[in-house]
Amino acid sequence: MSTIAPQFRLSRFIASLFDIIFWVLLIFSLVGLPIVFIILFYIKLPIINGQLMTPYLALTWIADPSQTVPIIKSLIHTTFFHVVAFPGFGFAALLSAATIYVERKFLAKIQLRVGPLYCGRIEGILQLMGDGLKLISKEIIIPAKADKPIFWIGPLLFVGTAGAFVSLIPVAPGWVVANPTVSLLAVFATIGFFPIISVLTAWAANNKWTFIGGLRALHQMIAFEIPLILSLLSVVILTGTLNLSQIVQSQQHYWWIVFAPISAIVFFICILAELERIPFDLPEAESEIVAGWLTEFSGMMYGLIQLGTYLKLYAFAGLFTVLFLGGWNGPMVWPPLSPELITHGITIGPVNVQIAGLPLFSQPMLNGTLMFVIKTVGVILLILLPRGVFPRIRIDMLLHTGWYKLIGLAFVNIFIALGLLYAGVLGPGGLIQ
Amino acid sequence: MVDAVFLALSVLTIGSAIVALEIRSLIYGSIALMLTLSGIAGFFLLLDAPFVAMFQLSVYVGSIAVLILFTVMLVRRELIFNKIEDKRRRYAGIGLMLALMLGLGMVIIGSGMKSMETNSPSVDYKKIGADFLTYYSPALIVMALILAASVVGALTLARREDITNDQRTD
Repeated sequence: MSTIAPQFRLSRFIASLFDIIFWVLLIFSLVGLPIVFIILFYIKLPIINGQLMTPYLALTWIADPSQTVPIIKSLIHTTFFHVVAFPGFGFAALLSAATIYVERKFLAKIQLRVGPLYCGRIEGILQLMGDGLKLISKEIIIPAKADKPIFWIGPLLFVGTAGAFVSLIPVAPGWVVANPTVSLLAVFATIGFFPIISVLTAWAANNKWTFIGGLRALHQMIAFEIPLILSLLSVVILTGTLNLSQIVQSQQHYWWIVFAPISAIVFFICILAELERIPFDLPEAESEIVAGWLTEFSGMMYGLIQLGTYLKLYAFAGLFTVLFLGGWNGPMVWPPLSPELITHGITIGPVNVQIAGLPLFSQPMLNGTLMFVIKTVGVILLILLPRGVFPRIRIDMLLHTGWYKLIGLAFVNIFIALGLLYAGVLGPGGLIQ
Repeated sequence: MVDAVFLALSVLTIGSAIVALEIRSLIYGSIALMLTLSGIAGFFLLLDAPFVAMFQLSVYVGSIAVLILFTVMLVRRELIFNKIEDKRRRYAGIGLMLALMLGLGMVIIGSGMKSMETNSPSVDYKKIGADFLTYYSPALIVMALILAASVVGALTLARREDITNDQRTD
């Protein structure tokens, strides 16, 4: 008898093998085959060498890289890829995750601490992964007297609204998920949903701390939405369009922060307030009202809210870049792609496999993405900075700032923009194009 | 495709409007009202008017529905919600609605508007702005005056006489 498996019996072992085979077949026929059919039905597959590339030829794709590249290329230009991976959710979530780690280290350095240190050996680089695993494995506790439907759907709606916001931000020329003609108005419509979600989830948790936090969030977001919209009007007046991609294209020679600096400052302060960051973090003031409107959330529900918050941070920073810092415009620093690469492809290794059809992305797109990411990361760092420097302000000071000072300041730059427009200096048909 | 979306939006809008009227919970009622207003924004999108749709979302859902929610949450229920159970009122309301719909339908059918052009391009928002500032400018000015008057009136109503100036926090 072996000491490792004292209860071992060959018959049970064989039975377990059959069991595994049965489940594999069952899952394949119930899940795998329908997925193949869904792909065949909905996705437009490319034709290579006069042969339609169906999922049934999956082994051929793997064996022949020259056939795999066109499939990847056609996949990259589908809406699905745009939403899930590149300009949409995956890209934003990656930047948000990096933001969370950088925020902790950055604030620690400001305040002469060390920050996350042990997880992942090198400067705590795996801390975020550990936190995520912890959040997923924690139990979700719903308060007994909570209003369950609203409480459950709140975090999902928050992440969904943040994702809708992210989808409107153009990253590189032509690389944007949703590009309506009035995308700036769509941004206003989207950020109008955040106070509703905050106050509804705060009410649904049936806790006085969450309710006070939710009401504070509502007050704050409504108060700062008006100067936010007004501060962007000067850019709209100067460009004459509401489409974010066209606003970026209008900044090829100079950025709008040159002509609308007061708007940029007002917009930046409004970003801080809309994101509930210090010095405007009254809705989550942890030393007064536990955690504000997030008090009753536990486990992955809290994780979803945090994910939504950081997606929103990325989207606001991207919006600042797009409107005032020229978006993807910038010096062409990406090395040009050699024509041999485009015509002949690259040669890999000792067996000389030629992969034609590379590269997957064009040079302007790669350079634009690089410029956008550099500027956006700069804005994100500026948003993170006040957290290490400033204290929290009182609610009456906050409302006073929002309703009196910022609205007045926003109007100043609107009149400057109108003056420049009517003097014929800027804008459509102006002296400086 | 458009027909299916139209049907879904109609069901959403009318269904949530009925829910907003009939449900007991005031919070759920205001959520249903938000759904109704969002459904109307969807109709504007179907009509190729994204400008109006986005304003519908940001003004009606983003501001007015929030105001209703705020009122419902802050004011005690007995003060604004006086329960009157009367079957006859409900039947009278349904009858009134049917009469109104019949009248409007007869007007629309009688107007000779039987078909619609579906391939026309969406309305340019710059043209809306230009029209507002030229042809419709008297209406715009009157609207602005009414809004300004209502804001001043609201400020007058909200001002409390029992607080002296040194008690104010700002």
